[in-house]
Amino acid sequence: MFNDPNRREIIRALALGLTAAGVMDADAAQHVHAATGAEKAKGPYKVKAFQPHEYQTIARLAEIIVPKDDISGSAVDAGAPEFIDTLSSQNERLAGIFHGGLAWLDAEMRQRYGKRFVEASPQQQTRMLDVLVAAEKEEAARRSEELVYRRSNDYRQFSNYTVKRPSPLGPGITFFDWVRKMSVDAFYTSPTGIKDLDYRGNRGMSKYVVPQEAIDWAMKRSPFA
Amino acid sequence: MANPFYDVVVIGSGAGGGTAVHVLTAKGIQCALLEAGPMLDPAKEYKEHKWPHDYDHRGAEEGGKSYFGEGKPFGFFSTTSGGWQLDGEPYTVAPGSQFQWFRSRIIGGRTNHYGRMSFRFADYDFKPYDRDGLGTNWPISYEDISPYYDKAEEFIGVVGSMEGIRSAPDGKFHTPPPAKVHEMLIKKSCDKLGIPCIPNRRAVITKSINGRAACHFCGQCGRGCMTASNYASSQVQVFPAMKTGKLKVYDMAMVREVAVDGNGKVNGVIYVDKRTRKEMRIDCRVCIVAASACESARILLNSKSSAFPNGLANGSGLVGRYLMDTVGFGLSGYVPALEGMPHYDTDGAGGAHLYMPWWLWDKHEKLDFPRGYHIEIGGGYGLPGVGSYHGQARRFGYGAEMKKEIRKGYGAGVGFAGRGEMIPNEHSYMEIDPGVVDQWGIPVARFHFKWTDYEWKQARHMERVFAEIIEGMGGRVTGLSAAQREADGISIPGTIIHEVGTARMGTNAKNSVLNGYGQAHDAKNLFVMDGASFVSNPDKNPTLTINALAWRGCDYLAEEMRKGNV
Repeated sequence: MFNDPNRREIIRALALGLTAAGVMDADAAQHVHAATGAEKAKGPYKVKAFQPHEYQTIARLAEIIVPKDDISGSAVDAGAPEFIDTLSSQNERLAGIFHGGLAWLDAEMRQRYGKRFVEASPQQQTRMLDVLVAAEKEEAARRSEELVYRRSNDYRQFSNYTVKRPSPLGPGITFFDWVRKMSVDAFYTSPTGIKDLDYRGNRGMSKYVVPQEAIDWAMKRSPFA
Repeated sequence: MANPFYDVVVIGSGAGGGTAVHVLTAKGIQCALLEAGPMLDPAKEYKEHKWPHDYDHRGAEEGGKSYFGEGKPFGFFSTTSGGWQLDGEPYTVAPGSQFQWFRSRIIGGRTNHYGRMSFRFADYDFKPYDRDGLGTNWPISYEDISPYYDKAEEFIGVVGSMEGIRSAPDGKFHTPPPAKVHEMLIKKSCDKLGIPCIPNRRAVITKSINGRAACHFCGQCGRGCMTASNYASSQVQVFPAMKTGKLKVYDMAMVREVAVDGNGKVNGVIYVDKRTRKEMRIDCRVCIVAASACESARILLNSKSSAFPNGLANGSGLVGRYLMDTVGFGLSGYVPALEGMPHYDTDGAGGAHLYMPWWLWDKHEKLDFPRGYHIEIGGGYGLPGVGSYHGQARRFGYGAEMKKEIRKGYGAGVGFAGRGEMIPNEHSYMEIDPGVVDQWGIPVARFHFKWTDYEWKQARHMERVFAEIIEGMGGRVTGLSAAQREADGISIPGTIIHEVGTARMGTNAKNSVLNGYGQAHDAKNLFVMDGASFVSNPDKNPTLTINALAWRGCDYLAEEMRKGNV
């Protein structure tokens, strides 16, 4: 954070060092990166934007979307429910998307299985998401067809042309995309996600080197082998 | 109270204005610099080296603004720069046109965020009409500007290598960083296609100069560099010029007009102090307008007087005309050979380490479009951020399989962006909207813009070439379908942020606004030192040429002042 006195001090020291000596060495650069990367200590989280049932549903969705596996934890471990709640508590429009979407999901689940999402079996939960994902793909194909068609000469000549009808699951598709993209973002921007992907950067060094073993790996598998 | 007086008043603190105050104060000339935004404080504002998880919003900004397209234009972590829309400072676009105008309101302007590609124009770029009968020749040649490219490169610092390619003249370079693995594959693929793929030329230093530290390879140039290891006019030119005691900076100063005396000689600048909303005036001997091409043209067109009823220095009627942007087209690909590679830090010196200059400059008879483009590269293991994996999440649905696929594909994607030359046309220009003023009471710009077949055909050529490069390295094209690209495959005008040409230079007062030094034909003590002076917009990103032209113009101006000619 800007207000982290530790970071501020380091930066000031850096700036002074720069003026005086004209050179910041790689150790100093690395020091800043390490210091700014330190994680904040957090107390127990207090939910601000959602009812307990809503929050529970968000957490269950996040857990299904990015589940724990043998490499890393889940989106819940990475703080996705807190992330969604914090931003929703700052933005009514976003909160509205979740309130409405969660209610839609429960209504749809009741219709299909006679239960709300969190009370359904894991198989029923994933079955619901599979239906939404399939509908989303169809919807994407339909929109793409429409875009291309609208730009084409046919469209200019036959304005009565109609493409396929929009999916009746539209609200669910939209909501699922929101909860998915925010869960995915929360996961991959967390220390857990960064480690999962094995991102090696955001640090300073005095010399940039590309490792030979990486070069050999790619070349051997390329058409240039 | 008398108005403050300076020998030279410079309007705008970007590449042109920054260079002007650096060069002029070094010659001992007293300058004032007017900037429509606030002072920049790198120590407070830069987010270099921060992680997304250092913030509860992870970079999505308060309330998740970035999800609604309302966040900072280049992301939360990017340096303070500006935006496509500024509160209280609108612009309009004429019916039937599309144009987006990026404006910075901060010391350093757009040099704070720009890509730092630093390419010299080629010799032939200055004489385009002689080559294909399109557009207009510049009044200067490569030989005129070459010594100033040297000066600019040596001062701001540019990495690169000596290649001897006519479309991409060599310069004074710092040692470039080595190619990354995906770039090596791209180069191999380009070799097969006869496309040169060479070390990139970016305004980053790899050895310490002028109290600036060498690059430490964190790849975060766009966030603002705490150690000033890249070029931004704020850190590299304006701050040092302030230390000379010869420069006074007026920030939050929104210029309304450049004032002239009864003889049509410029004698001052009138601006609104944004903090007090008061109208203020600074008197001067010389005025340099460098507010960005369209803002400079707007100021000139709004500076009406009995001597200049159509706007200052607009006897030719060409102020605002021949507006150009760069032709942009991008294509991404997936390269299986990169899957599972041992990971390494690909951040590097920021941006790509290689690029492809235009290679068909002597083969135009085989092409269906004039001029050319260069290719910029993307790829590597980027710092995961908000939005990084939305596309893949949609593609793979959700769950363990999605997680596995994102992991597998991490670092296996490559991207190509073409940056091509647009031919100036009479349908692309800006003027003053007669019905709209901004919150400072200043009439706003209205844009007209049209791509022609020249630009569309060039973009289709880019598309074919990028696909060939991707397929040549065993990859496949990803993203939009071929039909979608065909329907939608050229950048929205303005969005490459290379707008130039609105007060072009030329040989006389009828065919141009300025002479080859950026001096107005109609007012000898008025200079324009930004992209407005460009006669054409070659595929080389404009900043380095703005630096060089401003430097050359200031050498000339200082000499004219010494002789008493202005």
